Amino acid sequence: MNPLLAAEALYTRRQFFGRSALGVGTAALASLLGRDALAASPPLPARRAVPGLPDLPHFAPKAKRVIYLFQNGAPSHVDLFDYKPKLREWHGRQIPAELAGGKRFSTMTGNQTARPVLGEISKFAQHGQSGAWVSDFLPQIASISDDLCFVKSLHTEAVNHAPAITYFLTGSEMAGRPSMGAWLSYGLGNETEELPAFVVMTSRDKEASCGQIFYDFYWGSGFLPTKYQGVAFRGAGDPVLYLSNPAGMSRAVRRGLLDDLAHLNEIKREDFGDPEITTRIAQYEMAYKMQASVPELTDLSQESEATLAAYGPEVRRQGSFAYNCLMARRLAERGVRFIQVMHAGWDQHRNLNTQLKIQCEDTDAPSAALIRDLKQRGLLDDTLVIWGGEFGRTPFLQGKIEDTKGWGRDHHPYAFTQFMAGGGVKPGISYGATDEFGFNAVENRVHVHDLQATILHQLGLNHEKLTYKFQGRQFRLTDVHGHVVKDILA
Amino acid sequence: MRFPPSLTALLRLSAFSAAASHGLGTDAPLSFERDIQPILSENCYHCHGPDAEARKARVRFDQRDSALAPAKSGAIAIVPGKPDQSELVARIFSDDPEEVMPSPQSHRTLTLAQKNLLKRWIAEGATWNEHWAFSPPQRAPVPAPDAPPSSLSAQLPVHPVDAFIRARLAQEKIPPAPAAGRAALLRRVTLDLHGLPPTPAELDAFLADRSPDAYETLVDRLLASPRYGERWAWDWLDLARYADTNGFQGDPERTMWPWRDWVVNALNANMPFDQFTIEQLAGDLLPNATRDQKIASGFHRNAMFNGEGGRIAEETRVENVFDRVETTATVWLGLTFTCNRCHDHKFDPLKQTDYYALYDIFNQMSETGSANAGGGRGGQMAPFLDLSTEAERAAVKTAQAAIDAIGKEIETFELTKFPRPEGQPVAESPAAIQLPGNLFATHAKVAPARRDLNGLLEALPHFRATAPDPAYAALLEKQIAAIRVRDAATASITKVMIMDQLAKPRDTFVLAKGNYEAKTDLRVLGAIPELFRPAVPPPPSSTSTSPSGSDAPSTSPGETAAPPARLSRLDLARWLVSPANPLAARTAVNRAWQAFFGTGFVKTAEDFGVQGERPSHPALLDWLATGYVASGWDTKALHRLIVTSATYRQSSRVTPAEHERDPENRLLARGPRFRLPSWMLRDQALAAAGLLVDQRGGSSVKPYQPPGIWEEATFGKKTYTQDHGDALYRRSLYVFWRRIVGPTSFFDAGARQVCTVKVARTNTPLHALVTLNDPAYVEAARVLAQRVLAGSAADPDRLSAAFRLTTARTPTPAEQKILTTRLATLRAHFAADPTAARELSAIGEFARPATLAPAEHAAWTALCLLVLNLDETLSKE
Repeated sequence: MNPLLAAEALYTRRQFFGRSALGVGTAALASLLGRDALAASPPLPARRAVPGLPDLPHFAPKAKRVIYLFQNGAPSHVDLFDYKPKLREWHGRQIPAELAGGKRFSTMTGNQTARPVLGEISKFAQHGQSGAWVSDFLPQIASISDDLCFVKSLHTEAVNHAPAITYFLTGSEMAGRPSMGAWLSYGLGNETEELPAFVVMTSRDKEASCGQIFYDFYWGSGFLPTKYQGVAFRGAGDPVLYLSNPAGMSRAVRRGLLDDLAHLNEIKREDFGDPEITTRIAQYEMAYKMQASVPELTDLSQESEATLAAYGPEVRRQGSFAYNCLMARRLAERGVRFIQVMHAGWDQHRNLNTQLKIQCEDTDAPSAALIRDLKQRGLLDDTLVIWGGEFGRTPFLQGKIEDTKGWGRDHHPYAFTQFMAGGGVKPGISYGATDEFGFNAVENRVHVHDLQATILHQLGLNHEKLTYKFQGRQFRLTDVHGHVVKDILA
Repeated sequence: MRFPPSLTALLRLSAFSAAASHGLGTDAPLSFERDIQPILSENCYHCHGPDAEARKARVRFDQRDSALAPAKSGAIAIVPGKPDQSELVARIFSDDPEEVMPSPQSHRTLTLAQKNLLKRWIAEGATWNEHWAFSPPQRAPVPAPDAPPSSLSAQLPVHPVDAFIRARLAQEKIPPAPAAGRAALLRRVTLDLHGLPPTPAELDAFLADRSPDAYETLVDRLLASPRYGERWAWDWLDLARYADTNGFQGDPERTMWPWRDWVVNALNANMPFDQFTIEQLAGDLLPNATRDQKIASGFHRNAMFNGEGGRIAEETRVENVFDRVETTATVWLGLTFTCNRCHDHKFDPLKQTDYYALYDIFNQMSETGSANAGGGRGGQMAPFLDLSTEAERAAVKTAQAAIDAIGKEIETFELTKFPRPEGQPVAESPAAIQLPGNLFATHAKVAPARRDLNGLLEALPHFRATAPDPAYAALLEKQIAAIRVRDAATASITKVMIMDQLAKPRDTFVLAKGNYEAKTDLRVLGAIPELFRPAVPPPPSSTSTSPSGSDAPSTSPGETAAPPARLSRLDLARWLVSPANPLAARTAVNRAWQAFFGTGFVKTAEDFGVQGERPSHPALLDWLATGYVASGWDTKALHRLIVTSATYRQSSRVTPAEHERDPENRLLARGPRFRLPSWMLRDQALAAAGLLVDQRGGSSVKPYQPPGIWEEATFGKKTYTQDHGDALYRRSLYVFWRRIVGPTSFFDAGARQVCTVKVARTNTPLHALVTLNDPAYVEAARVLAQRVLAGSAADPDRLSAAFRLTTARTPTPAEQKILTTRLATLRAHFAADPTAARELSAIGEFARPATLAPAEHAAWTALCLLVLNLDETLSKE
């Protein structure tokens, strides 16, 4: 059957459940189906979109969705991406006072009097035609560097994890503003009505070497209605809370009960006239759909062995970073707008020599596999992937130079690297630069708000115009700042 | 998942907010405040408003004098009566991108209608008045009862609330709705005042009471019940950001429930709202403060507390003071002060120094910002109040002494058990070095009296089974028992966090960009915002850095220039509920109205400032606010007044045309109808099932929660240990609230992280999953099934019983038919699948009668779950 007709048939069957509430323009539907038909993945069932604001996007988008691979705890830029031979040269000598003097660090090194430079603990090499410098701790990422755009001149103001992560994800260091995914689902809606527009998945390093927790305000809706908040898929059991029917209640029994419930509610609506009842009927119907679509989402039986192998040995373990990366691709295929994958384990204050490599091993293959997988399936063009942490790490040492086992680096907001792929961002480039110690971003500096403005831009949004009035003020993701980094756009 | 309102609805909405009842007919005079200020504020104040730093060209439109004064160029922005000579008019109508205002960079544009309004307003003389919310409420006369006829007006003397509401409806030519049915009204008012549905007995009694004041009697009964305080405490807890943990990393537990119980008691005692305010903001500073008044002062200790590793204590302390300032401003002033951390307000006449003057008031307590400065347990940070009795403290001492004694016994025993040179620790003994696993570290290396419970529990099996030494094992068992006794005794010591006052005041400086370490040299003393200060005499609020010592509050009347006095927290609290504050009663009345009708008069309950929405019924808001104060801030009287109005008692039935006309029911031509808060849904389900345990107060309880929620959020550091028995069925108010991951049964709830005066009401599939699948609801359905099965043998009666317990009515024949048909299907299904029947009929821990046939029970459980999920059950109707 023609998928469009199939969708129409489905629509007719459920027309009763409120056309006005869930309706989507036929043209939009056709375009979605058109895209599905072209995709290299096995065909997924036709889906209907959830509309966003009527006047959005502001202009033609390059990307339709975002996968943010957020590396909580802050990976060390000087050990992984920002190669600085000077550090090796100066290893053990005090970092020049004009760089570190008077700067704010966390209390861990804020009172440390000696600040010896620490050479990179990994080996760097250039990769691909672009000649990107990447650490040998990240061989898979290095191998796709021609698909990546490294932004090496990021900087922020926050020096502690929670405020810094909140800054990246909500535009404010203070908890309570809407997160990026909430803004996007508010503004753009979703390409499917069977899954949430904004999905969050979290993982942590196996040793739990650092204790950053995942606060729900990292995916909160702030003052936007709570329906825009991220739905955090759980790392064990039902991915969505209360997804499973109670023991003893089959799907068929539930179907029958929901049919009656809809019927009774419809009688109520006819009597009382409250259109909210129509919405409620539709939402119960969608809950029922999610009870099928979420298990379908997490069923990996149709994935080829080659695909699974690419994501690494942890891919079958629910709650691992590898599993979450694969799930991110599956969510992207199914039309989810914003997929926030967060991995904690990068906060190497005292165990750089042991933990950094382990973290790299856990994240390298899954991250690269995700990007390759998206590319193979034709999804990378309109999916923007971002990889990085909330700040960098100090080019100087935290700890004592003679205690090699206890080497570490402190939080460093003044310069760090993230990379992006797909979604209309130039592949195979490095943008911006730090000074010769990797201490300050000095060339083409990119602030947190600039990155946010750029992400919104790729989704067809003017970051100054996506606003919401609260407490008398028009709020936006980028506060009153932010410039689109045009130089990195394809 | 989103359903944008139709365009027409949007148009309606804006028509109600700004242009209000007058429409913009050519003859009605313009009101600055209603018609003009919103345009100026939204489009111009950003650069031409109260914020001196951001102001461009030295022109400001929030003050008449400035707008009428010539600029440097000689141009005059506004020449009253002469739009042609007014630069403002020239600029807003200009086509030149260099000239036009608002400038293209601002991304703001005026509609032609707005431009014409501004022009007309200048032509009419450009009258200015102060923002409505900054003037004291005026008590307008109750409108004459020329309201359109309705079924109610015949029965009732015209209630003042109705006179105001109907005057407005008459302007709009909308008739009020007829009265709601008695049963529907009973359910509505019982949910509103108790947060619970009426019992069948209450329903019968009310339906049988034909006396003319049956409803008033009912309301008085509801107001007198202690369930009233439990219902209304919830809203106050949301606003006070109450929780049982600190939030942030580690999220340690704290004990604030005595403060929560204080709120419930104060509401039940109908404590006047001025006293309620003063005791919570400054109960500790009252002369001869009682224990309860000190507990009340814990209001501002409910803030989150960040004890993250590496966190700078002063930064946490400053954040907490910010939170206290902003919460106070939101609750008692309806003003959003957050912007003022960094700069003057963009829209409201609030200065950065006003912010820090309030900051100074809250800066004078002893909290240090360090998580280790407790002396209490876990998340308890000094100062706190020890609520323990003499006997409880003695029990701890006795238990500790017992541990010390057994420690000595063990020490002696170990001299022979772990032989080593005299004076050496156990760890030096060759016998100790052989201990396996952790035991060397946890046992041998720790002095006997200091060994902890976990280590001992690991050691015991070793000495009992692996390397048996019965005498030694017996000693360890004795020690474990003693530690447990001590821990239990310690746990019964309740300490609650309260406020206090530093003996030596802290200096307060304006912080640049709100950065805790960027003190400017601008020193500020505690004061109320300049906006609210009487014109004469002006108490100075800020001075430049003054020599130390001059900040001591002056108590003796100086002859000439007294040194500036710092207002205390008590002064501030008293001022907030004094006639000098135009906003306390208005914000309180607005929140009450919001709770009853779903939306306040001022929809932006958190913002009464220039950018907030104008009140839908300004005269009624002020009439209620002034009446509230005149009644001695009698909250129960206010609630009684509202719920006895015909407006409240209207039916919530609506036609499509009526709905189209006023989708949000701002004009109140019908009664309120909206989904109940999720916490109330849970209480309702428990009550309908007969499960609710009506026990008040005490430490928080842990009902059902899916496994792993806390563990996942805290990396396994916190384990949720579910309670059993009665604790599962206490009201939602008493459910333990972990701040970083709140109770999973609640949705659309305030996050209890910052002050929330208005919670969202959304409609998502995730909510449906909760009420369909959360064991709390499935168990309620299961026990409701038991209840109706025990009540009658006839299906129609059972169905009626289930309906009456949830919706306060019996099902219609059409409903009955659908459900009876379903019942037959379910019976057949569960008879054929006994396993499924057994499973479904056994969900939850509440007992089920063994005699009940599982198939029948399961069929009714499924049916009752359906009834609990009816839109009508989920809604206040």
